[in-house]
Parts: sequence; C-alpha cells; structure tokens
Amino acid sequence: MKTIQVPALARVEGEGGLFVRLEGEQVAELKLNIYEPPRFFEGFLKGRHFQEIPDITARICGICPVAYQMSSVLALEQALGVTVTDEINALRRLFYAAEYIESHALHMFMLQAPDLLGHQSALSLAAENPELVKKALRLKKIGNDLLKTVGGRSVHPVNACVGGFYRWPKAHALQALIPDLSWGLEAASETFLWAAELDFPDFEEDYEWVALHSDSRYAVMEGSVRSSIHGDLDVADFQRDYVEFQVPHSTALHSHGRDGGPYMVGPLARLNLNFEQLRPEAASLAARVGLSVPIKNPYKALLARGLELVQSYAEALEIVRAFQPSGPSHVPVEPRSGEGAGASEAPRGLLFHHYRLDEAGLVETARIVPPTAQNLARIEADLRGMLPGIAGLPDDDISLACEALVRAYDPCISCSTHFLTLDLERQ
Amino acid sequence: MTGQGAAPEVLVIGIGPSLRGDDSAGPLAVARWRERRTAESRPPVEVVCLEAPGLGLLEVMAGARRVVLVDAVRSGAPPGSVHSMTAEALAAFKSDSRSAHGWGVGETLALARLVCPERLPEDLNIVGIEIENLDPGQELSPAVAASLEAAADLIEGLVQGQPAAAQVLSA
Repeated sequence: MKTIQVPALARVEGEGGLFVRLEGEQVAELKLNIYEPPRFFEGFLKGRHFQEIPDITARICGICPVAYQMSSVLALEQALGVTVTDEINALRRLFYAAEYIESHALHMFMLQAPDLLGHQSALSLAAENPELVKKALRLKKIGNDLLKTVGGRSVHPVNACVGGFYRWPKAHALQALIPDLSWGLEAASETFLWAAELDFPDFEEDYEWVALHSDSRYAVMEGSVRSSIHGDLDVADFQRDYVEFQVPHSTALHSHGRDGGPYMVGPLARLNLNFEQLRPEAASLAARVGLSVPIKNPYKALLARGLELVQSYAEALEIVRAFQPSGPSHVPVEPRSGEGAGASEAPRGLLFHHYRLDEAGLVETARIVPPTAQNLARIEADLRGMLPGIAGLPDDDISLACEALVRAYDPCISCSTHFLTLDLERQ
Repeated sequence: MTGQGAAPEVLVIGIGPSLRGDDSAGPLAVARWRERRTAESRPPVEVVCLEAPGLGLLEVMAGARRVVLVDAVRSGAPPGSVHSMTAEALAAFKSDSRSAHGWGVGETLALARLVCPERLPEDLNIVGIEIENLDPGQELSPAVAASLEAAADLIEGLVQGQPAAAQVLSA
C-alpha cells in the first residue's frame, strides 16, 4: 500500500478534506470531510429575539449572507403570521439578485474556469488573460455595489429584517447603478456564450434534482420544493422527506432524499426544474446555443450559473428602473408563539430554515439545512462514479480531477472550513 | 467605519469572522488599538472591520494611499506571534485560498497586482497574528488573547509611519 500526499484542494470556499483509498480501479474508501458551523449557529440562536436572527444568520457565510437572511426571515414571518407587501418582495428579489451576481461571477471565473481552461488558479489565468479577469472583477463589483446600496453594507448586510427592510434604499443611489447594470447584462450574456464554448469533462449521472419551483417565476424565494423524481412538496414538509444523518468522517451532516439516496441541489437542479421559467433574456441565449434540459453533467452547472447571472442582471435592472416605493419599508410584526419553515435558493442551492418561537418571540429551536451539506452525499457518489474511469492516471491527475469535480459544485465550505487537503491511498 | 475629525490619512482594516475563535484576532487587535486613540490622535485614520471581504477588499481599499491591514495568519510560528509584513511577503504565508475568508487576502492582493495594480494602495502594510483555535464561538486561545497588545503596538507604529521591517514579535 502507498499513501500519496497531493496538493490541497484550493478554490473551494473554505476547508475540508478528501480521502480516497483505491484498490486497483475500485474505490475501497472515500470520505469527504467537511466541518460545518451552521450546527453551532443553531445553538447560538436559541433564546434570541426573532429580530436578531437575520443579523446573526448573515454571519454564517461571507459569500451568501443574503440567502441566510432571507431563509430566516421567511421562516420567522411564517411563524409570526406576517405577510409582506409586493414592494418589499421586489426589493428582496433585488437584494438576492445582487448576491447571485457576486457569487456566480466569483465562481464562474475565479473558481471553476481555471479548471476548464487548464489553469492552476485564477492567478495564472489572470496572467494569461487579464481582460477576462478584469471583466469578472467588474461583474462581481457591480453585485457588490448593489448589495451595499440595498443592504447597507456589502459584506454582512444589515438592512433586512423580519417584516421587510429597516429603510428603503435611496432611489437615486439605485438609479445611479443603471449604467453599470446595463453593462453587466451585456457582459453576462457574453460570458454565457463564452462558457457554452468551453470543453467540459465527459461525465454524466442520473440525479434526483431538488429545488424550489413556482409556475410564475424562476423560484428563488417562493413556491414549493420540487423533486425531479417525487414531484412537489410544501416547504413545511421538507424536513419530513429530506433527512439529515451523521456520518463518522464528517462533522457536517449528510442528507438523503425520500428514497434514502443522495440528491443534488444548486444551479443545475434549479435550471433543470425551472427551465420554463427562465426570463426571456436568458431563455433566448439558451436557445441560441441549443441548450436543453435535463443537463446531467455536473460540470455544466457553470452554464446554469451563466444563465442565472444573465437573469440576475436583467431582473436587477427591471426592479431598479421601477423602484418608487410608496408604502412603508417594513410591516409591523408582533411577537407570538409559533413555528415556521422557510426556504430560499442560495446561489449554491436550497437553504432551509425552521424556527419555533415562544410567546415573547424568543427562539426555542432553530434548524438550518445548508445547501452544501445536502450536496455532500451527492458529491461523494459522483466521485465514486468517476474514479474507476480515471484510476489508471497518475496520482496528480486523479487529484486534479477530484478537485475539479468537487469545485464544480461550488461547495460553500467557507461557512465551514479551512483546509481541504486531499489524501490518496493506493493498494 | 469611522473617520476621526480631519480627513483620514491612513486606512486601518481588521479582517476576520467574529464567531470563529482566533480567526477574529484581526478585528480584535484593531479594537484594542482603537481604545488608545482619542479625537486628537494623529494622524487621522479611518477604521474598517470586515468579516470576509474576499475580492471586496479591493473596493474597500480603493482610493486609500496608506493602508494597514490586520489579519489572522497561520505560518507555523507559535500561536500569538505577531508578524509585520509587506504585501509581497504575504505570499510566503498560506493564508491564501485556504483562508476561512473565502477568497483570501493573499490571493486577492496577488490578483490585483496582476490585473489592476493601480487599485492597490502605494503603502500597504500587513499585521498578521498567528492563530491556533478555529472552533466556532467567541473564545480566543490564551496565547492569541495575550498577543493583542503587541499587535496594537505594531498597528500604532505603522500608523505613525514607522518603517515596517519584516519582523516577528514572538509570543
């Protein structure tokens, strides 16, 4: 038996470890080990007033604070019997679009593109193609500016609350972003066409995809939970059918679906289940390159991100142009006992929250099911599926291929982790 | 974000998540240093604490001529060691893509040097605090807690424009 140390798994947001033991071409053991803090946050939220929750959950992840805020406010509003106005919902969609823009631009160019273009990192890509990276930085920066304008701050936004927003953003500040957003829509469209030309590894699996679905729009904060196999489910019933369980090698819980097997959440799941709901700007681009669903190649989540980047810019432009709020920025919320479930589509996939409150509106129990944890069992299954086909390659190539597959899922282990080192053992 | 009276001459940035053990050492050292300052302290500074800015760090630094960046690092030195570094020296540290800050400080600065060097401050110094424990929570390990005064001294020295020879103040 020999043990081989291979380079750390970089460009995954955070920390984790992958251990593979091969016996000939067969995978004898495979463990993706990720440390997950939302568990810690669940305990940290107990006893807190409901209105503190969005600000605390925003700190779980530096990459997707809006997702954590929105899933928590949706769950808490259900527990408190609150319905917000259309104006507030529109601003929430704008807020969420800003996060998609930032997150997707980062992942597409900086995290996944180097793999597809044969670069070690975005740094070597930047050395070869600085214009591409400059465009990525600008695409991302506009998301950042938008997030800051709506959320008050760009990193851990503070403006969202249960019931809406503490205050409306300044209309002139939003409108000042229109030229940048128009440029972004154009640049995102070019980005998708560029991505469609990339050479993707040849690998397909039969997946169960799970994502929010609504007939009326490409669901981010609305609708029911749709499975490609089992159909629709109320968000409130999610924890009944999608079960988390512990595995000895990971502090993060893994998840299985109704059949007791792994499932996929994230951009590919969303696109495959909501293709009909794409905005026209994105649908026409998909048609132009002949893209149809279902897409069974996990690396092609990049194309889903590309279409969502286009959509996010288009939606942001539409909302900013129409922004002229006349009502209050938040509806009144009174404490009461109750429980509520909420889900939204974080850039990385379905993010589920559930809270139980006491009469004073203090949290009795909190449950957070993050997208990356849901995907872990699926990523392991993909790696098991891929490894026999590449077991004859040199160790470094095996390592790179594993890393690239993990990275295609854009695992946000940044809420979680520091070092993702890969250990490969052969027998 | 606080200016202190006159137009700020120096931007001091503390980086690190507040609920991840020693990873919050940067903002805590900045807070310790700030306690010593008054409205009369010179030069005027602007102070920003960020949990996980990633590439957003470039926007935060945009337009600043002098920046002091305070962050947690891991280099194998004893926990609580305080490093004074230039941006170039940061490349020697493994705080880049493996940082819990998502897109790390080292990688962000390296990328900016490649594609948009004009967005980097002319004068950029980094204070790195060697950390140990990254468990969730607000607890600092004793060696790191004990290093905050030395880190605050170093921040003040850099704010006063003292030359930043590469040095390690041992724990």
